[in-house]
Amino acid sequence: MRARLAALTLALAAPAVVAGCYPEYSPDTSAQNASVGPSPLRRLTNEEHLNALSDLFPGVKVTLPTLPADATVAGFDNAAEAQQPSDVRISRYEAIAAAYAHALVGDSTGLPALLGCSDWSTPALADACARTFVEKIGGRVFRRPLTDDERNRFTARFHGWQIAVDFEGATELTLSAMLQSPQFIYRPEPAPPDATNGRTIALDPFAMASRLSFFLWRSTPDDALLDAAKNGMLTTESDVRAQATRMLADQRARRVLYSFHRQWLGLDRVLLDEHAVRTPEVDLGWTTATQAAVMTETQLFIENTLSQGGTFGDLFTSRRAWVNGDAARVYRINPLPEPSQWTEVTLPPNERAGLLTRAAFLAGYSHRGATSPPVRGNWLELRLLCQLPISPPPGVDFSQPKMQPGDGPQTNRMLFETRTKPAVCQGCHANLNGFGFGFEHYDAAGKFQTVDNGLGIDSSGKINGTDVDGAFDDALDLSAKLAVSKTVHQCATERWVRFAVGRAPDAVEAPMIDALAQHFHGSQGDVRALLVDLVASDTFRMQKVVREGSSP
Amino acid sequence: MMRRRQFLQALGLGALATTLRSGPSTRSARADDTSPRRIVFYVQPHGNIPNAWNMQVPGGPMDVVAERPLADLLPSDFSPTLRPFHPYRDRILAIEGLSHTAALADIAAVMKAGTGDLNNHQIGVADVLTGTRALQRPGTYCSGGAKSIDQELASRLAAPGRFDSRVYGFDYIPNSMVSPFSYLGPGQASPMVADPSAAFADLLGYALPKGGGKTRDDRMKSLRPSALDAARTEYDLLAPRLDADGRMKLDQHRDLVRELELSLSSGSSSRCGDTAFDSSGQPMRQFMRLIRLAFACDLTRIVTVCPPVPQCPELGYPADATFHVYGHQSIEGHTSCGQTYSPLAAQAMTDLDAWHAGHVAYLLAELDSVKEGTGTMLDHTLVVWVAELATPTHQHHDVSTLIAGGGNTFKMGRYLRYPRTLPNPIGGEPLTGPSHNRLLVSLMQAMGQADTTFGLTDAIAADGTNLSFHGALPELRGA
Repeated sequence: MRARLAALTLALAAPAVVAGCYPEYSPDTSAQNASVGPSPLRRLTNEEHLNALSDLFPGVKVTLPTLPADATVAGFDNAAEAQQPSDVRISRYEAIAAAYAHALVGDSTGLPALLGCSDWSTPALADACARTFVEKIGGRVFRRPLTDDERNRFTARFHGWQIAVDFEGATELTLSAMLQSPQFIYRPEPAPPDATNGRTIALDPFAMASRLSFFLWRSTPDDALLDAAKNGMLTTESDVRAQATRMLADQRARRVLYSFHRQWLGLDRVLLDEHAVRTPEVDLGWTTATQAAVMTETQLFIENTLSQGGTFGDLFTSRRAWVNGDAARVYRINPLPEPSQWTEVTLPPNERAGLLTRAAFLAGYSHRGATSPPVRGNWLELRLLCQLPISPPPGVDFSQPKMQPGDGPQTNRMLFETRTKPAVCQGCHANLNGFGFGFEHYDAAGKFQTVDNGLGIDSSGKINGTDVDGAFDDALDLSAKLAVSKTVHQCATERWVRFAVGRAPDAVEAPMIDALAQHFHGSQGDVRALLVDLVASDTFRMQKVVREGSSP
Repeated sequence: MMRRRQFLQALGLGALATTLRSGPSTRSARADDTSPRRIVFYVQPHGNIPNAWNMQVPGGPMDVVAERPLADLLPSDFSPTLRPFHPYRDRILAIEGLSHTAALADIAAVMKAGTGDLNNHQIGVADVLTGTRALQRPGTYCSGGAKSIDQELASRLAAPGRFDSRVYGFDYIPNSMVSPFSYLGPGQASPMVADPSAAFADLLGYALPKGGGKTRDDRMKSLRPSALDAARTEYDLLAPRLDADGRMKLDQHRDLVRELELSLSSGSSSRCGDTAFDSSGQPMRQFMRLIRLAFACDLTRIVTVCPPVPQCPELGYPADATFHVYGHQSIEGHTSCGQTYSPLAAQAMTDLDAWHAGHVAYLLAELDSVKEGTGTMLDHTLVVWVAELATPTHQHHDVSTLIAGGGNTFKMGRYLRYPRTLPNPIGGEPLTGPSHNRLLVSLMQAMGQADTTFGLTDAIAADGTNLSFHGALPELRGA
């Protein structure tokens, strides 16, 4: 694993020299033909906002009010189109900024580090100290050096507040004001005043630093990234690839690996209230702790797999798992020596593979007392294959089919086959069931089962609508086939692009997405290589100038 | 732009409100009523069971509007769902037979286009407060297509020193996406507060000390608005450097920063004095008390309540059941694709309707407990109970609607039944009553607005008939 990782890193860091076994992705560098979509103003998502605060001010203990939820589009919380501000959000920002500033300034031992100076005992020292503070903290909060005007405005405010209260009070209020300013809460990328409308231009290096960090770390840039921007080391494609490679090796990259997959695949559905219980017939031991445990298990699986050199395909085929006692019980693993600890195990062969056979998905897309093959099949079509939502005809019966008195024993599969037999149902259910029946070895708690209602389980099915169409034997076989499917890689790539740019991909970006997807598939699903390719793309590194009152 | 600049103007109703509590008031005490000045939308997920909601109109013809006065009825004369409103029967208007025709027209249009999200839940959620076609978004579920009526009124009735509106409640996830009812604009969910104690903190967050205060803490508190002022300057200066989209967002943000600054500076929250948060009872009841408090202190005039879909055991049904599934089985004679009617499901959905009715009736009691002028707060407030769908079986016609309170704007004390004589936008579907959009027009007018349409203005029925959604429903005023 380690050798493979080293080779990968080398390939990413020096793309022009080391070509892998697949063709090198190279973006179209001719600016006016560039496949660059629009770059609407983006606000920090709640996740990004809180990460940025904790990365800027590590170790601060503060109780914060809850921000109103980010509206999601296609499952993602960072769609620029759905970020209209509201009064509740603004008042939460005010409370959060005030709370953080109060906690930081209230910690007298940490104050010199925050200010960048330790003596403000005379007016002259205080003035110098205030200027240092505004310059230093402003640069970190706004993710770029302050302009002269900004420096003067905040210094003037500081002085006013110092007169009204005192030096510490002025520090607190200045910080609070900065944390409520658009330079922090939004990611403004104003085009230079002399840029021509409609032209595609290189992004300002500091804006590029923010694009990289909020994508790959879900947070604010670190000093190294800001230094790179300052020193002109974030302008060429290879600069960007080098930084991205460095960032993906950092612990903070675990955030994007989990956040993306959680949102793309809707994996946290298992945390909804309706999954807090399972009926006794399904699982006597299911509690809210199980609910949380299976979610954490999936989180650790994604983060560890992808940050330790694993591939996209491994997400569907790997049997590595990190479990605590609650999760181990669901997977019927021998009791752990330390049930409260998260321990790496290998899940039973012939029972488990990757995400499609993990409890977060299996339970999250079940009912409390029974599985629903169409619900799981619909998830697969909608999420994994990027198909459009299916709308059942009005009046469709969504209830769980049950055996009628006098019937012989039937499996869940047989009941659903009968229910969805009418031709009007088969238009959709041929595919929904084709996928969904593949998961019948897993009950509504995600536990493996070999018998359903006294009968053997048939979990064979049929893949339709992909490049790997055809019959499969069970969820393991289905997972193995989807793990190498171009269709699935294409869908993942399209969703990654959407997540990276905070909007639905533009038509002009279609060729770029196709190229990225092809490369992703050709690389055997190297997710980190895909992300490096993505941030090196024109659409990520450039912006189209849009002047008000004229269309490009 | 600075629409709250004159924030020190008279506070209006707040001055009338007292915290005196009393029992249900009498009609004669409300002689000073003119028009309602506040409105609450209670938006129920799913729909109502007609057999449990509807009341008979003895002798009332089916092909024209028929009504039944409620004044002399006994509780046992009320339908099971409406029975909790018997104590307020002189101040409710129950309306049977409207139709979410705009939603039906939307479905017909999407079917015709052959692409888009057709899910009845998504369309219903998007339509009920907007009255317009859903915003279709590529590759995912649709969303609200315009500013919803609560937010439209919030913008128009905005005034210094109070919140434009509040949205309280819980995420509704009919499919795999959160589907909000209230929208600030196309696809823009209004922020909803799900924690009553946080909602309380918003209303009465921190009272600024008068005259700047004596202690350092007081001075720091009284300077919090000045940090907002500093931030506001940054929005002002940055916005002109961005494109139209960015400028609009920052301008909106800037205005909201300014409003918060002025609200905090005006000391509006201190109008409620030292009120403490009352955490007793379930969250929905806590929200209802907060609405009374917010109205009494005039901290807002528009509230939208989005109740949760409770878990089945909360209403005595098994843990492996869901109200969604019960909904599909709840109306006899409505079968397709193997559906079986279940009396248990019908009872469950009836109980769910009663659960919602209980919350709405509790709100009426809260509002009626505050004397205001010669009547009560309820007399100056419209409470509107609507549902996402007409029926739990996902229909959009045969809608049940309840309006309460509201003084003399509508002729209250009646059960009103509209005939179903209009053709449906979808071929082969039943005849419908008037469009729900005309109810929205009626509500806009009741709140002093001159609008004659809201949302979609017309639709074409499947048989080619033009369906006009123009004008208020005159019958609501007793015409």
